Amino acid sequence: MGQKEESNMPIIEVKNLIKKYKTIEKEAGMIGYFKNLIHPKYKEYTAVKGINMQIEQGELVGYIGENGAGKSTTIKMLTGLLTPTSGQVIVDGLVPYEKRIENNKKIGAVFGQKTQLWWDLPVIESFRLIKKMYKIPEGEYRKNLKKFTQLLQLEDLLEKQVKNLSLGQKMRCEIAATFLHNPKIVYLDEPTIGLDVLVKDNIRKFIKEINKEKNTTVILTTHDLKDIEDVCDRIILLDKGQIIYDGEKQKFKDTFGNSVTAEIILENKQPNITQKLYDEDFEIIEENENNIKIKFSHDKTTIVKIVEILSKYGNIEDIHMKEAELEDILKEIYRGVKIC
Amino acid sequence: MKNIIHNMQLYFSFFEASLKEVLIYRLDCIAGMISQIVTQLVSIIFVWITYQNTDNLAGWTFKQSLLLYGIMLTSIGLVDLCFDSLYDIGPKYIREGTFDKILLRPVHPLISIIGESKAFTAFGYLGLGLFITISMLAKLAIPITFVLILKIIFFSIIGAAIIGAIITIFSISSFWTYKSNEIIWTFFRMYTFTQYPIEIYNGFIKFLITCILPFAFVAYYPTMNYLGIDKYMTWLSPIIAIILWIIAVNVWNWALKKYRSTGN
Repeated sequence: MGQKEESNMPIIEVKNLIKKYKTIEKEAGMIGYFKNLIHPKYKEYTAVKGINMQIEQGELVGYIGENGAGKSTTIKMLTGLLTPTSGQVIVDGLVPYEKRIENNKKIGAVFGQKTQLWWDLPVIESFRLIKKMYKIPEGEYRKNLKKFTQLLQLEDLLEKQVKNLSLGQKMRCEIAATFLHNPKIVYLDEPTIGLDVLVKDNIRKFIKEINKEKNTTVILTTHDLKDIEDVCDRIILLDKGQIIYDGEKQKFKDTFGNSVTAEIILENKQPNITQKLYDEDFEIIEENENNIKIKFSHDKTTIVKIVEILSKYGNIEDIHMKEAELEDILKEIYRGVKIC
Repeated sequence: MKNIIHNMQLYFSFFEASLKEVLIYRLDCIAGMISQIVTQLVSIIFVWITYQNTDNLAGWTFKQSLLLYGIMLTSIGLVDLCFDSLYDIGPKYIREGTFDKILLRPVHPLISIIGESKAFTAFGYLGLGLFITISMLAKLAIPITFVLILKIIFFSIIGAAIIGAIITIFSISSFWTYKSNEIIWTFFRMYTFTQYPIEIYNGFIKFLITCILPFAFVAYYPTMNYLGIDKYMTWLSPIIAIILWIIAVNVWNWALKKYRSTGN
């Protein structure tokens, strides 16, 4: 196998991935509990329903979806923590749930607020243990430590006990610990939850910087879409255990985010124009005494046409337009607006 | 082989880290040790009371029985020191979700978990056990030679390894119930059978603690060797320890695989 061929292989390949859980059906009341104890009724629940995806080395992927969409279950299968019910996962040539320890050498992971650091010890001791665990060569360790310390501003934290760190300080150390052994792939599950804006920004910059320098593949799960907006190039959107979108972030916004909201200030506005204009190519979402908020889509109408119509109902004084942000788009999708 | 050495090195690194973590809480440490010593002294009083009515139990004198007790206590001290965290797999690691962290390390999870044992109060058991052992050897006029010291160290470690393997086997209950610590505890407590010479038990219990859960090899057979009564049986204990650990690791791997396919 030549170098060239290898580089053509996706680093993560997922085919028809399915995960079913068995849960015990709870019956109400004390009698129900006893019934369960003696003869439990099992209910099958499919968390992941046949997922396919390919991720290339060095990609920054935002893996998003509502709570319960199956994100964590997928990440657990990719990291080898869970065995799929059926389907195939290959991560850098290995099946992670079969060669778990081999796979662990090549990956890094942050799961929410669960720390991988030694709680009662100074941060630097945890880093030393990680160095031993992953057999990081001395030179590489020093180089990374120096760089991470500077990028994540860890100078004053290294000698402190983990339990004495604030949430933001802890997460910065956590991120450093995760990247210390130069993992090929990093899974970040809610890395910015509960952090303040500055720390979030710091962490996002760090991820981008390391990705650029080391071509690290990053799979990021988050509810903070600013993370995705800042860090990721590609979005995989999951809903009820299925992928409903997989592609470039920009394309996602272009396809689903061509709706524009505008606030229009009208002098001498006629009352109740919402009712009169219900049949137009734009939608009035809010109407006040002297202004209205509208929503429209670029492929159906233009602001010029809208202005023409509205000018019959008052004198237009001012117009503020706002392009849809990722968050607005997702809200729409979650609300059940048709997609694809 | 290289892998085994690396894993052993890691185990000692984890162990060292745990020790450092515990030493921070110095007072807790001292209080724990004192309470352990007091608990054991109460048990010794019971042995003493038993001997108030008789000169010997199945041919064993009070001093010989105490020697047996000291040997057992030394091994139990080592067990607590090294395997305490196995009790926590269900209630702590799995319930609180830190088990995932352990599974994501490039190390066998058993090494991580055992390396995180923090029962350093076990130095109380260990100290008391060694004290009783040495003073009874003196009282029984058994010469404390260099070879005897080596034997005591060796068989105490092997004894601890035997109990450690038994705990590891029963710790797989953690993958099905959070209350696994109670299940492990039930089997672990059977070591108390070895406080007394096994001659006093009926055939079933003798068979149980020799062949099924071989606690007899922890203290009884080594003591027989030191007393010069039965020289050979105790040399089976290293083989038993190895077999038990092979079983333990395989059973544990099997249970972990089961656990990962059902999910949590």
